Amino acid sequence: MTVFAALASVVFGAMTKDTPRERVLYGFKVFVEFIIFGLVLAWVLYFIPW
Amino acid sequence: MQVDDADPTPGHAWLVGLAAWFVPGMGHLMLKKWLRGALMGGAVWVCFFLGLAMGGHMYDLANGQTTSSTLLQVPPMIANLGSGVLFVVCWLVGIGFGDDPVQAARVTYEYGNTFLLIAGLMNYLVMLDAFDIAAGRRD
Repeated sequence: MTVFAALASVVFGAMTKDTPRERVLYGFKVFVEFIIFGLVLAWVLYFIPW
Repeated sequence: MQVDDADPTPGHAWLVGLAAWFVPGMGHLMLKKWLRGALMGGAVWVCFFLGLAMGGHMYDLANGQTTSSTLLQVPPMIANLGSGVLFVVCWLVGIGFGDDPVQAARVTYEYGNTFLLIAGLMNYLVMLDAFDIAAGRRD
């Protein structure tokens, strides 16, 4: 999941924003969001019985 | 309502877009965006090869059946096709397309499938980014 988040955040960060600093910050933000969402979703699915 | 005439898309932008699809990262390299091409193209290449290494499976329509279930193969095939030459070479060589129960039993099988799908889909984004840069719509 971490590798996936890193690869996706590299692409998203490089595509958006104007300055290199903004791209790095956005990429890091996307990476953290991927991780958090993945963990939250994993716990939600864990408690769903089917 | 007044409509401004849009600037026509330069012809070479289509070539850049096609090259970007065919070889991940090539579009940006053609535009001399070295770091962007290396990062974005590299991410697609790494994602694709990680998917293969994890035992992922790619989709095509050559399963010999003409049932409606074949239609279900089309969307993931479109996603896999986004990888361009990576998909084509694997298809020609016969890597990653077989229905192997031993491969499917691997713990990382579904992860590999996802990585292969996402590599193709990310390359579509990379392709569009290269096209937009070549067309002058973004820096």
